Amino acid sequence: MFGKLKGLFGGSAGISIAAPMAGTVVPLEEVPDPTFAQGILGQGAAILPAEGRVTAPADGTIDVMFDTGHAVSMTTADGAEVLIHVGIDTVQLNGQHYKACCKAGDRVKKGDLLIEFDPEAVKAAGYETVTPVIICNTDRFAAVKTEKTGPVAAGDVLLTLQAK
Amino acid sequence: MKTIEYTITDELGIHARPAGMLVKEAAKFQSKIMVASPKKEVDAKRIMGVMSMGAKKGDPLKVTIEGPDEDAAAEAIEAFLKANL
Repeated sequence: MFGKLKGLFGGSAGISIAAPMAGTVVPLEEVPDPTFAQGILGQGAAILPAEGRVTAPADGTIDVMFDTGHAVSMTTADGAEVLIHVGIDTVQLNGQHYKACCKAGDRVKKGDLLIEFDPEAVKAAGYETVTPVIICNTDRFAAVKTEKTGPVAAGDVLLTLQAK
Repeated sequence: MKTIEYTITDELGIHARPAGMLVKEAAKFQSKIMVASPKKEVDAKRIMGVMSMGAKKGDPLKVTIEGPDEDAAAEAIEAFLKANL
């Protein structure tokens, strides 16, 4: 509660971005895709999913729900632009094993369902399910800090952003 | 001001990776670079904007470049589009 209030007023607590799924936290540098590993899309962390549900990492508005259901991006109420990319190269599945549960323009609350997918089917099709959670407007923040290592539950604080 | 017109031939259109690569290329230049799909016009230096165009195979793109290094930027962006999209 206090942390939340501080965050609202740009205090030292920073802006919290929750884990959009349960699983295991993987450092971004270890993601087997240079676009993510080198931070070209922004800083953040990745999660190896333990479930097939992606939920909103904060309150905000959906910007892009890819037709293929493999990725979603939103702007949080605090102004962070978050991209959740479910699996690596999974654009090539062309929607198979993914179901979009929101659309561009939707206002969402933290924890709302955004995407459903079948992790086992994605793996069986030959794709990695590791899911980068990226702050696309990293340059707007002084720091993007990963708060978790190892196991994470959906809704746990995954990233903290420090305002400039 | 320079303009480039290009029709996307890549099967997958502009998804996350090409969006990131395009922004990285555009960010090398000082010039203001805007890119328009049939849906909307966005700042080519903003990843969220570029992804939100939802540009698909067959979509015509129009890139508008204005600034001190517009010639070099136009050359680089055109080469990028041909090589990647």
